[in-house]
Amino acid sequence: ISGVNYVTLNKTKGPAVWGPRAQIDRDLYKRHMQAEILGTSNLTVTECAVEDLILTESQQSASSITKSICKGVILSTGEMVESKTVVITTGTFLRGCINIGLSVRPAGRIGDEPAIGLARSLEKAGFTMGRLKTGTPPRLDKNTIDYTQCGVTKGDNPPEPFSYLSTDVWIKADEQLDCHITRTSLEIEQIVHDSLPENKHVKEELSGPRYCPSLESKVLKFPGRTHQVWLEPEGFSSDLVYPNGLSCTMPAEYQQRIINLIPGLQRAKIVRPGYGVEYDYIDPRQLRPTLETLPIENLFLAGQINGTTGYEEAAAQGIIAGINAGLKGQNHEPFIVDRTEGYIGVLIDDLTTHGTNEPYRMFPSRAEFRICLRADNADMRLTRKGYKTGCVQRARYESACRMADLLDSNLDLLRSLKLETYKWDELLSRASSRPKGKVKSAVAVLQMVSIDELIKVQQTELGHLQSDRILKKRLEIEALYMLEIEKQQEEISEVRKDELLVLPMDIDYLRMPNNRGLPNDVRLKLAESRPHT
Amino acid sequence: MVATTNQSFTQSSSLVKNENKLDINTSTSSHQSTIFCLSSGKGKCGIAVIRVSGQACRQVLKDMAQFHHMPIPRQAVLRKIVDSGNGVVIDKGLVIFFPAPHSFTGEDCVEFHLHGGPAVVSALLCALHSIPGCREAHPGEFTKRAFMNGKLDMTEVEGLGDLIHAETEVQRRQALRQMDGDLSQLYQGWRADIIKCVADLEAFIDFSEDQDIEEHVVESVKSRVGKLRLEISRHLHDNRQGERLRDGVQVVILGEPNVGKSSLMNALSQRPAAIVTDVAGTTRDIIETHLNIAGYPVLLSDTAGLRDTADKVEKEGVIRARKRAEQADVKVVVLDLQQWQNCKNNNRKSSITEFVISQINSLGLQLYQASASSLQILNADLSDSDSTPQLVDEEYCQTIIVLNKLDLVQGNTLEDLKSIDNKVLNCAVGSCLEAQSGRELEPNSPVDFPSVCCVSCTTGEGMQEFLAILESKLKIMCGDPLAGSPSLTQARHRSHLTKCLADLEQFGQMTPADDFVIASEALRRVLREIGKLTGKITTEEILDVIFRDFCIGK
Repeated sequence: ISGVNYVTLNKTKGPAVWGPRAQIDRDLYKRHMQAEILGTSNLTVTECAVEDLILTESQQSASSITKSICKGVILSTGEMVESKTVVITTGTFLRGCINIGLSVRPAGRIGDEPAIGLARSLEKAGFTMGRLKTGTPPRLDKNTIDYTQCGVTKGDNPPEPFSYLSTDVWIKADEQLDCHITRTSLEIEQIVHDSLPENKHVKEELSGPRYCPSLESKVLKFPGRTHQVWLEPEGFSSDLVYPNGLSCTMPAEYQQRIINLIPGLQRAKIVRPGYGVEYDYIDPRQLRPTLETLPIENLFLAGQINGTTGYEEAAAQGIIAGINAGLKGQNHEPFIVDRTEGYIGVLIDDLTTHGTNEPYRMFPSRAEFRICLRADNADMRLTRKGYKTGCVQRARYESACRMADLLDSNLDLLRSLKLETYKWDELLSRASSRPKGKVKSAVAVLQMVSIDELIKVQQTELGHLQSDRILKKRLEIEALYMLEIEKQQEEISEVRKDELLVLPMDIDYLRMPNNRGLPNDVRLKLAESRPHT
Repeated sequence: MVATTNQSFTQSSSLVKNENKLDINTSTSSHQSTIFCLSSGKGKCGIAVIRVSGQACRQVLKDMAQFHHMPIPRQAVLRKIVDSGNGVVIDKGLVIFFPAPHSFTGEDCVEFHLHGGPAVVSALLCALHSIPGCREAHPGEFTKRAFMNGKLDMTEVEGLGDLIHAETEVQRRQALRQMDGDLSQLYQGWRADIIKCVADLEAFIDFSEDQDIEEHVVESVKSRVGKLRLEISRHLHDNRQGERLRDGVQVVILGEPNVGKSSLMNALSQRPAAIVTDVAGTTRDIIETHLNIAGYPVLLSDTAGLRDTADKVEKEGVIRARKRAEQADVKVVVLDLQQWQNCKNNNRKSSITEFVISQINSLGLQLYQASASSLQILNADLSDSDSTPQLVDEEYCQTIIVLNKLDLVQGNTLEDLKSIDNKVLNCAVGSCLEAQSGRELEPNSPVDFPSVCCVSCTTGEGMQEFLAILESKLKIMCGDPLAGSPSLTQARHRSHLTKCLADLEQFGQMTPADDFVIASEALRRVLREIGKLTGKITTEEILDVIFRDFCIGK
């Protein structure tokens, strides 16, 4: 109920990698979320800085890695808040520093104090910590932009809602705000170079992340190119525009000069300059798959404090840490999503086994089982699991069950609907390529033609699907990937077979260099568990 | 399990890769035991070499060779070797120190060169045992450590194994080449190519929409995949030369009973490997012997004479002989010249060619057997990404026809034989067999005609010529391991590469209308298979390439 522009990304490349995206109105989002949270029964909300944790020594043996137990937090007012579990999501606030040009000041975000006391407490508790950087672009005044010189991207029509419970989004397709696109010009390169002596953040960033989050690193790593700039509205009632792609940390006057060299932005005014943030994160290998920390029991961490970047990454951890903090408080079994169940599982498994040395971002290529982890089947993968744990409402669960039944029965129907290949070709008036005599099921046919074509030639059997747009789409996607998913199952069983190999106990897995076969995560796991097969 | 993760993090010492990054690729310092073993042959000998590898090497040098300062690396020093437990001198010998990482295993290594008496060796091994942290090595453990410390990769380890086991000169050359990393380089090159292809495609899937990734990336991936496909299929299409050289060429002696097959076997192996009598059907089971012929390893099999028989045991022998004939790389068909002489005496017209053909037909041998479907890629256009390597079923014949019992033919027959030019005979026999097989002879066809030669196993006449022919056949079957690109030596490689090729082909057949993600899955499978040859490929490696080659991030 806050989106201003809905687009499904990667629409041309196969449903396994479709990514529904929405731009959100900041004010509306804040209002709706606060209403939701404050309206939740049994929930007390306090706004105050946290200075320290209430810790007691762990009763476990000295050799155990868990040294202490968290029993609550101490606020900056000195007040103690006791609790069974604590979740920390400090974002960039943990000993955060803001860099613009050469000036550095401690702050979590423009206008907000950093969390220094808490960082010290975590360090004292024995966490290994590191430092990461991120940045944000300058904000522009909408009224000073000449959109006629920019490309337009409208929202999808119809806009796809995120939730399986919604059939429509809250606004009409043509009420969506447009996004615009322009490109940097080559002249900006000189300004970036000129600004370098006055740019503390970038100087240190040269050995930073592999991807290029800032304009400076784009220019330095890939000279001689222009770069895309997306002009994204911040909301219906906001005059602010977020020029995505222009994160930079140079002094404000250089930023203004660069902006004015970009088509459409010649007269644009910077409302607030871009800046870089440096902050502490804890090595996420000190986390369990529930995001509870190893050194401190009952303490959970989520978001940038674990070395990630991005909204989805933060949300994914937030929900896992939150659910598990709740479960632990009630002495229930933990809730863990594994790599084959969702991107959340890939993210957390990567973090807790590999660690990270750059802000971790989720990419579809990180998932081995990408064709199973699709936006269209999230309910089949996770809703039932969530319901069992108690974090999914009954209505959503029942809707997922209904869909599962529909999918199962109709896929069975399609599988049982078999004809000889040439008959299919005749019916669908396709050129017959295969020799006669081979029998093909409707599922196999669906890998080549659209479901609407199939329904047209099999009215009696499949006519009932005609009106269900969502079900039709889902059947089509299931059929498309069925073969490929079967192949992956073979692979998994092949891997299982390898596991029967007997391994000697004294292999030093950690000493095996990286390029000789075993990735680090595997090695660490092997070193820990010393499997004998 | 989680406990140790954290330990390794805190004890970390930076290692190998990514020194500029945080200590992500770290390891605990080695706490693994020091190993030793007798590296030279067992039994009495002039010199015995005992190798030690691991952290305790310096202690070993101090205690047993009584060095107060470590000796100069890689220089032999003559020392008294002492059992540190009781102070007794074991022997006087050479000691060489190889400090890490410049050693075979990558760890500290010490070599003792002592006098090779069993008592000296066992005293030294006992003395080493008593040093804390030292234990005797398991078989292959030195190489395993070398592998794990990155001194050798999988194909190099395999090459080393082959080198140690190489029994013939040509095997040695091939193994040495592989151990030196030639094969590894070829596979590493493919690995890099395929990583780049996958990275480009993944970048296109992950980022093309709101980042600057041009459409032509996909086209370029397709053409590079086509090229890779061609290279791999060429490598695979080598008639298994490398594998044959590694495992031995199967040479099978075939023929009617009592034509002298076992005599030929004995003459070749220069020992009475098979029982020879004048009773037809003496040889029943298959008799095998390993031979080194001109540097090529040969597994020579003598078989039961091919005939219809009521004897149950002999019948089974004939079945086995035919089965073995199917697996043979080179068939040696033995015929009895006396039979020709008898034919000639009965029927004046019978020429030697007719005789040979009728004999072979009556044996019921399939000389033109389909070899593994071979690829003909002679002048395929590399730039054309869509050109699928042409599959041609090519029949293959490596046969030697031995006309035995030269010593028993006389008079006209002998003179007739002497007047025959072998080349003409080869051609005549070959063409007849060709014609029979119903196959059309292509110009420049690479098929060899069977070679015919006359010998006497009893007197040795003609054996030199036969050996020369056999040698030339072996050469064709094994190839020259030093010429051209390195050969495929193991069935394991073949199986992974064949899978790679199948998936590359699946990718090549993808059309723009097909699902991108499915296409990319095919490439990801190639990645896994190549990884099994050269070491696993991680997502991080792919991402490294993506971020190196594309400007991504907002």
